Amino acid sequence: MLNNSYNASLPLVMHIDLNSCFATVEQQARPMLRGKPVAIMNRRTEHTMIITASYEAKAMGVKLGMRFRDAKKLCPELIGLESDPPKYRYVYHKLLDIMNDYSAHVRMKSIDEGVIDFSESTQALQGRDLAEIGYEIKQRLKDEVGCAMRCNVGIATNRFLAKTAAGLHKPDGLDVLTSQNIREVFSTLELTDITGIAGRMERRLNAVGIYTPLQFLDADPATLHKMVYKSICGLEWHQRLRGWEVDKRDFPIRTAGRQYVLERFDLTHEQVLQRLHNLCESTGYKVRSQGLVARGVAVHARSHSRGYWHSRHMASVPFFSNQTIYSIAKQLFANAPSDPKEIGVTCYELSEASENQLHLFGDELVREHEVVDAIDDINKRYGERTIHSADTLNTGHYVKQKIPFGSTRYL
Amino acid sequence: MNDEQLLDERVQVLCTFGGGLNPCTPVKFRRANGREVAITEIGLRHPTIQGKRMVHMFDVTDGGADYRLEFDSERLTWRLTLEADHAE
Repeated sequence: MLNNSYNASLPLVMHIDLNSCFATVEQQARPMLRGKPVAIMNRRTEHTMIITASYEAKAMGVKLGMRFRDAKKLCPELIGLESDPPKYRYVYHKLLDIMNDYSAHVRMKSIDEGVIDFSESTQALQGRDLAEIGYEIKQRLKDEVGCAMRCNVGIATNRFLAKTAAGLHKPDGLDVLTSQNIREVFSTLELTDITGIAGRMERRLNAVGIYTPLQFLDADPATLHKMVYKSICGLEWHQRLRGWEVDKRDFPIRTAGRQYVLERFDLTHEQVLQRLHNLCESTGYKVRSQGLVARGVAVHARSHSRGYWHSRHMASVPFFSNQTIYSIAKQLFANAPSDPKEIGVTCYELSEASENQLHLFGDELVREHEVVDAIDDINKRYGERTIHSADTLNTGHYVKQKIPFGSTRYL
Repeated sequence: MNDEQLLDERVQVLCTFGGGLNPCTPVKFRRANGREVAITEIGLRHPTIQGKRMVHMFDVTDGGADYRLEFDSERLTWRLTLEADHAE
């Protein structure tokens, strides 16, 4: 049922967001970097894209996605660092531990943000004010990780408004959005300040006369439903903006994959295939680590001559081993452009390993399963890539595991 | 790009073990060339699993440069693996 009023209940959803996470963690770990503009990249070259910039760098105009070389023109003293995933994973787990101390209903949205839903169990509050808990979490982060750590806290009646509140006063802010102050807060924002509204969506809203968040808030549900989103998403936005929860749901994993920008653009086809093989090995491990099997493999490449190229294949029976993934990917890659600069592989049509029917050649599958499980166990015990294909022997130095954005499944 | 120097140097470390959240606190270390570095702050300590070995990474500073010390909890050895001073 559609609620036309604002949700006036007590705000019990808390969103916690680490500020410029990777850069802040580096500044925490390395005190000499504090107060200096820092950019984190996945590879230390002039052409690599910046994945996180410190607040000092952002103040100089450095933005995420910018090439380091271009950012350096804006901010000559910019310090470029290669990302150090174990460090960020450690801080992620510390934050998760702290959040878990307050409620059993914690959901991490990504490596640097999470939600505590106190509405699930108000007993966890023990009569305390949510803002007080928010300040306590901020202090604990400083005490238990380090004095340079800062986080934004947003409190509201649903996940969307809590995230919006967390973005109001960066860095180190704490804001509460309620039905009383929502109009006042929205009047200070631009449409693109709203999570989920970027250039294309902004143009669609503009087309029906919505130019400000307040106009978006006042929009008729039918307009959002029939004219802007042309789907149920319009009604969800109508509810979301009013503080009603529509985002409390988990999405099943549909694909798993990896991509890699080649370290040089003059590699032979053989060398490109070795790197593809490496990607297949880590993709296979990702799929198996979730207890899944796949039926489809898709490969893609970006090249100077042919732009974006992709190809896919759906098998008749599910598979799970690195060998099978690579053999399909290799066949597909026979038609790939000869001058790739980026390659990638994705497994799709994922399903629970136990859901699948026994195959006619069951014995062979069982044997393959046992070998693959044994290899995974050894790699888990003695470190990743202790056992891998001889074909990928020299590729580990280049194709390193980096940070999985958007999902905390593999952390 | 920056002035990080990656090293793999065995060092001698003077360390205290106490209570609290970070019970192991390196105080100073002596490098292979005999130079002693007094640690003024531990930026971050994080454990990493290297195979079945637990190696604790200590990112520390002496106020003039940042260092990374790695303590191998199986072999009980300390190594200096990074030095960076970010001088302008």
